[in-house]
Amino acid sequence: MMRAVVVDNELNARKELEALLAERGDIAVVGACGNAVQAIRVIRETRPEILFVDIHMPQVDGFELVAMIDPEQMPSVVFVTAHDEYALKAFEENAIDYLLKPVQAERLARTIEKVRRYAGEGRRPAPQPAIHRIPCVCSQGIKLVDAAEVEFVVSGETGVHLVTGQGEYLTELTLATLEANVARMVRCHKQFLVNLDQIDVFGRAEPTTAVLRTRSGRQVPVSRRYLAGLKELLGI
Amino acid sequence: MKLLFPLIQVVSFFLLVAYVYCKSPAYRLRRSEPLGAGQKVALFVFFALISMGGTLMGVKVQGAIANARAIGPVLAGLIGGPILGTAVGLVSGLHRFTFGGFTALACGISTPAEGLIGGLVGLHLMRSAAPDRSLSPVTAGVTMLAAECVQMLIILSVARPFTDAWALVKVIGLPMILANSCGAALFMSILRDRRDIYDLAGNASTARTLRIAERTLALLAKGFSPEVAPRLALIIQEETGVGAVAITDRESVLAFTGLGSEHHRPGTPIGSESTRRAIAQGEVVFQDGIREPYRCSLDANCPLGSVLVVPLLAGSDVIGTIKLYEKARKRFLSINRTLGEGLADLLASQLARAHYQEQKELLVLAELKLAHAQINPHFLFNSLATIQAITRRDPGRARALLGHLADFFRMNLKRNPELSTLQEELTHVSAYLEIEKARYEEQLSVGIDIDPALLHLKLPTFTLQPLVENAIKHGIAELLQPGSARIHAYLEDGCAHIDVEDDAGKYQPGRSGGGLGMGIVDRRIRTLLRGNQGLSVHCEPDRLTRISIVIPMVPGAA
Repeated sequence: MMRAVVVDNELNARKELEALLAERGDIAVVGACGNAVQAIRVIRETRPEILFVDIHMPQVDGFELVAMIDPEQMPSVVFVTAHDEYALKAFEENAIDYLLKPVQAERLARTIEKVRRYAGEGRRPAPQPAIHRIPCVCSQGIKLVDAAEVEFVVSGETGVHLVTGQGEYLTELTLATLEANVARMVRCHKQFLVNLDQIDVFGRAEPTTAVLRTRSGRQVPVSRRYLAGLKELLGI
Repeated sequence: MKLLFPLIQVVSFFLLVAYVYCKSPAYRLRRSEPLGAGQKVALFVFFALISMGGTLMGVKVQGAIANARAIGPVLAGLIGGPILGTAVGLVSGLHRFTFGGFTALACGISTPAEGLIGGLVGLHLMRSAAPDRSLSPVTAGVTMLAAECVQMLIILSVARPFTDAWALVKVIGLPMILANSCGAALFMSILRDRRDIYDLAGNASTARTLRIAERTLALLAKGFSPEVAPRLALIIQEETGVGAVAITDRESVLAFTGLGSEHHRPGTPIGSESTRRAIAQGEVVFQDGIREPYRCSLDANCPLGSVLVVPLLAGSDVIGTIKLYEKARKRFLSINRTLGEGLADLLASQLARAHYQEQKELLVLAELKLAHAQINPHFLFNSLATIQAITRRDPGRARALLGHLADFFRMNLKRNPELSTLQEELTHVSAYLEIEKARYEEQLSVGIDIDPALLHLKLPTFTLQPLVENAIKHGIAELLQPGSARIHAYLEDGCAHIDVEDDAGKYQPGRSGGGLGMGIVDRRIRTLLRGNQGLSVHCEPDRLTRISIVIPMVPGAA
């Protein structure tokens, strides 16, 4: 049994795909979500092997969603949409396949076959860095934080936090995802990512480590392991 | 006193000259037109000649000349100001001086002085509240009287011996004062009457042209067509008063009104050579019935004797002609000829405007069709996917939804392209909303609140649905949580207000997707409801977007 997650903001379209998959008997739908933000958590919790995702969704679209998935957990991605002008882009995103609504059972069968074949070859989509806005949990619901405004990211016991000049935000995305898919965001410590554009002062603490100061004056540690790489990126 | 009659003879001769002068092309005095340099020179020459003639035709009395010399400089001064008056006086005074006699010096001085007096009076009146009084006969008479009195005083004080001067003034004083004053008044009266006639004629033709422009503008707002031709012909005949007016297209007579209408029938092919020539060359053809005879090509007994054929241009193409006829033995007034030729320009610009308007409306319609062609596939496939899913669980509802979908597309294809009632717009919107509610289920709720008095309000077809679509697609569909939309139509301050609101507050001006649909709706409202302000948008980010239309209610239209 392959495990699948279905993401579509239209309830009926979602239910139809679930029904079509259930009819086959070889796919278990382990999660169904109405938006991308919810989907990120469900994907992390259920670790599906196949993801059916609608392209047009509120706030975070299907392409952005795929970019936000932890590369380590990347399922085979199938885009589902009525908008066929997205086909080319879907393949640029290394999607396995592309389904048009209304979805037909025979066409779906071919898609599943393809997924199995590629899964056997160990091929997985490797999305491009494409996250511009990072969905975060806040008291009113979901806040989309502009990636360029993030000074650094810290992973702690309470989860992954984005720190901007304005404040701190909790996100469902992992450090690995953010590192891979947010431009200018680099690893400087096992638990920290720093935005190269937000570094104000590079301070040497000991010969083997350093402390960065960001534009709003916060400090970010640089560990020995990442020091050389960071210095190279900063041209020091 | 026996001098009075010879002087009156001289003055009468001048009046004759004045009459001939103002009939001549040289006379160009107009109200509200300041004198040009050329006109001043012409006036100077004319009045200098008059004045010198006044000396030459004078009566020799006691070694002096009883004369009508002063009329020239004084009138020149009144009409053209002090410089002109003095200049005429100087020339004439110098001329008089060469004749000698014991008053030669006195007359040489007095003539420019009289011109100066006339000029000062004229200048004073031209700068006063009633500039027209400088050309009044009474002013001319009184000024002349004063000027002649001054002349007598100058003779008395300059001419020597004084006893001779005194004797002379006793003889010539009264006759000269009387004859010259009356002469000046009558002279001026002739000049002024003539000017008034020119002004009146000018005003009448201007007024007529404006009236034709005004009456035809409304008629030609939708372009030129065979239907408007009869009314156009009637307007032109009424305003010009010519014998008959015809309007043709390139092949046949569209309308004929006036004399000879019993054999000039609309619908008959163009018979006359002159009309074919006007169409072929795009030029005005004039057959005045004298130099170039006009013969009716249809009936030998036709009462019409002259014709002006004016080509009707739309852009650079001749689309027809307008023909003005006058009956035989009646002169074709040159003013009507000018008017007829002016009509061609007037109608051409009106047609160009109508053409522009029509193109603009066609463009809006084409854009609308294009937008529908672009938007519908997405909507269609999403709807089909929804119905496919619902068929599984609720075939009855799926069947109903297919009905709504069919209704929606049928209405898109079939609806009258210009104006619809609010009721029709709401029917269109409800078919659309049934599908959208099924697509978004509990994510979308829509409230409809309409004042029944507005159901018959006319608005451009496809106004409401794009606004509702916009509220859903770029508003509520962008929300992670459920959202609601509201269609609200109400009367306030004599205006119908239609608001389409959503509680997403995601409106962004100039956004590509929604911008297209909204832009078309806005342009259609402005074009089809002339003078309307179009859409207005009120957005409170993340709270509300409200698109409003305000349509003033015409009493009885709702």
